[in-house]
Amino acid sequence: MTTLPPLPMTRPKLTALARQKLPCSPRTIPRSQLIKEKDDIDHYLELNFKGLSKEEVAAYRNSYKKNICVDMLRDGYHKSFTELFALMEKWDALREAAKVRSLFWLQRPLEEQPDKLDHFYYYLTRAEAAERKEYFEEVYNNLYALACYFNNSEDKWVRNHFYERCFKIAQLIKIDGGKKEAEAHAHMGLLFEEDGQLLEAAEHYEAFHQLTQGRIWKDETGRVLNLLACESLLRTYRLLSDKMLENKEYKQAIRILIKASEIAKEGNDKKMEEEASYYLGLAHLAAGEYETALAVLNIYGKISTDLDDDLSLGRAYEATAKVLQSQGQMAEAVKYLKKVVKIARNNFQSLDFVRASTMLGDIYNEKGYYNKASEYFQQAYDTTAEITNIPLMDETKVHYGIAKAHQMMLTINSYIESADLTSLDYLLSWKESRSDIAPDPTIGGSRRSTMESLYQTSEFSEEDLSGFPDNQKK
Amino acid sequence: MNVIYPLAVPKGRRLCCEVCEAPAERVCGACTVTYYCGVVHQRTDWGSIHEKICQLLIPLRTSMPFYNSEEERQHGLQQLQQRQKHLIEFCYTVAQKYIFEGKHEDAVPAALHSLRFRMSVHGLSSVELVPAYLLLAEASLGLGRIVQAEEYLSQAQWTVLKSTECCYATHSLLHRNLGLLYMAKENYEEARYHLANDIYFASCAFGTEHIRTSGGYFHLANIFYGLKKLDLADTLYTKVSEIWNKYLDNHYQVLSQVRTQQIDLLGKQFETDTGLDEAQEAEAIQILTSILNIRESTSDKAPQKTIFVLKILFMLYYLMMNSSKAEEYAMRALDLAKEQQLSVHEQNTIQDLLNLISAEEAHHIT
Repeated sequence: MTTLPPLPMTRPKLTALARQKLPCSPRTIPRSQLIKEKDDIDHYLELNFKGLSKEEVAAYRNSYKKNICVDMLRDGYHKSFTELFALMEKWDALREAAKVRSLFWLQRPLEEQPDKLDHFYYYLTRAEAAERKEYFEEVYNNLYALACYFNNSEDKWVRNHFYERCFKIAQLIKIDGGKKEAEAHAHMGLLFEEDGQLLEAAEHYEAFHQLTQGRIWKDETGRVLNLLACESLLRTYRLLSDKMLENKEYKQAIRILIKASEIAKEGNDKKMEEEASYYLGLAHLAAGEYETALAVLNIYGKISTDLDDDLSLGRAYEATAKVLQSQGQMAEAVKYLKKVVKIARNNFQSLDFVRASTMLGDIYNEKGYYNKASEYFQQAYDTTAEITNIPLMDETKVHYGIAKAHQMMLTINSYIESADLTSLDYLLSWKESRSDIAPDPTIGGSRRSTMESLYQTSEFSEEDLSGFPDNQKK
Repeated sequence: MNVIYPLAVPKGRRLCCEVCEAPAERVCGACTVTYYCGVVHQRTDWGSIHEKICQLLIPLRTSMPFYNSEEERQHGLQQLQQRQKHLIEFCYTVAQKYIFEGKHEDAVPAALHSLRFRMSVHGLSSVELVPAYLLLAEASLGLGRIVQAEEYLSQAQWTVLKSTECCYATHSLLHRNLGLLYMAKENYEEARYHLANDIYFASCAFGTEHIRTSGGYFHLANIFYGLKKLDLADTLYTKVSEIWNKYLDNHYQVLSQVRTQQIDLLGKQFETDTGLDEAQEAEAIQILTSILNIRESTSDKAPQKTIFVLKILFMLYYLMMNSSKAEEYAMRALDLAKEQQLSVHEQNTIQDLLNLISAEEAHHIT
């Protein structure tokens, strides 16, 4: 039978076979022949029925995840398979954990995201092929591409996994002088920083900085790597020192910040140097070392003037004023704060302006210059009202109210003490109107002019304040 | 005594040969419930499995005694089922062991027994039959009867396809055997597909680094080796040896720890244990020795890898209490290390292994 040409004879052959299998067929076919014919039938079906092949059936029946895995394995990419399998297991575990926490869990299972699986397949297999040939750079590039692909908030842990892989691979790459290794260190630093493990992050960033020192490597977006290293390192150091300051470990914080400013100096970037000295100054202030703080802040101010950077100059003055205030040199502090107010006004920095004004108001308030205090508080309050910053507005409102109350208390006291008819009239009229009280001509002649000018300017905000009768009556 | 006459058997009762199901002419004199068509089959069966289960068959094949109460009847039935299940497992393990030892001829009767008991316990279309089919297919493959193997495998595949609940382990076994079948048919494309499936299912069932997954990797490596893709095969062989190394090293460490802690307390030897059943041990030996052969053929280039495999084999034999074999492998490793002038550290670790063995032997003698 097999000797006949297959195509023209196919139909008769099949029918013949079928007839032989009928119960009334004259003889039984020997087993071996049946089996031989079976292959022929398979072949015939394959040729003539362009239906689904075995693989197509499998592709249809099985999940996409399984097909991807099987495709990897049949070409011998077992490391990719192991990695993908472990990732999928972790993915499922995370999903389960998240499901327990909240009912509305949006992350879909990996099987339903064929795009991601395709990416896994493409890059992992290429990486493995390169690894077999020991082209580690190629491996790195592929793994890094995967890390970039998963760089979104949902799949952060996948990205982290590949950053770690990249880091391991990068240490094997020697020909490029350590550029890849430096990059890998940067990624690891970022990873730890996001995780809040600042010490580890600083370690990696230090390595990154060291490797890029004196090199002119640039990343994809054209930024110089060394500068990037300095930046990240400074940022980490700052966060680290913040934490230490919170825990009152001033010495360590200052040591780290000194290191930071040295690195900034090496980085040859004034802006960074400026920043570093600012934070160093603040740390000294927190530690109570006012002299050093002043010196550092001076440097900071000088750099800012060099750079013609009004904003940082303002910050410098503000910090200096704070130091002076803590030292008790109020007059100096006031001088600096006035400078800050001027700068802030010129640059339309409302928040800085508010802060400086409030500080000034505080100082005056403490000293007993209630008129000036309320003047500055009012300025602050007006500005906050302009920028409609509700919480800040409430705060300045209270400050303003307190200063105002202090201010009025003097006058009212004097009226009460004098105890004559005119004073009584004044008091009564004030009680009725609850608005501003006319100043007593007998007290504070020197202050009077300022007071009057203040009252004129402050008339219009009276309604706002009437919401705080307590403050007024005080 | 052992001869029976088919014509003398009561009407309606047909006695079949245990092996080939032809009309029986002989009976086993020990249990008197097992029949054969001739001396040849009786001998095969005896050599394979009957010797071990002869007496166990009697209660299964004689009619149940008369019980006075329903409770007793239930109890009797339960006991019968228990016995059958035990026999299923027992025959299965025996057959598996034969197969891994390469005695395919002997495996067939044992596997057939397992299949028959499975049929009577679980019914004809149960998934439980699949492992027995797979064993038979494997045995047939080993005997070179590809057509028969394919028949068994198709049977198994169909059963799996029809059933909705079938565990990953069974799927994995099925695909492994299909892979082996296609390897025998030299259809490497299909074989790779099935072996990939095998690894996937085994990973789902046991994890990617489990010894039961290693078989799939091993066969896949063999295919690539045959196709002359040596670097690919090499990574896969490495993977297999790493899996076994991890497993055996684990047991080895636990054992040595227990020894050092407690040897003086009771002053007696601790049982060495691989944690494997006999079939798995046989599989381990088979896989590792063939990897060793391949490694040795290229040992000039990478002696480290050969030594690695030798060490794994040493651990395996050591845990299996076969100290002479273990010593032999350790010696070979040491020779190779000296020959290739490997690092002193490497040589020292092998020397330590040898010392351990000789200490063990000294202990046995005293």
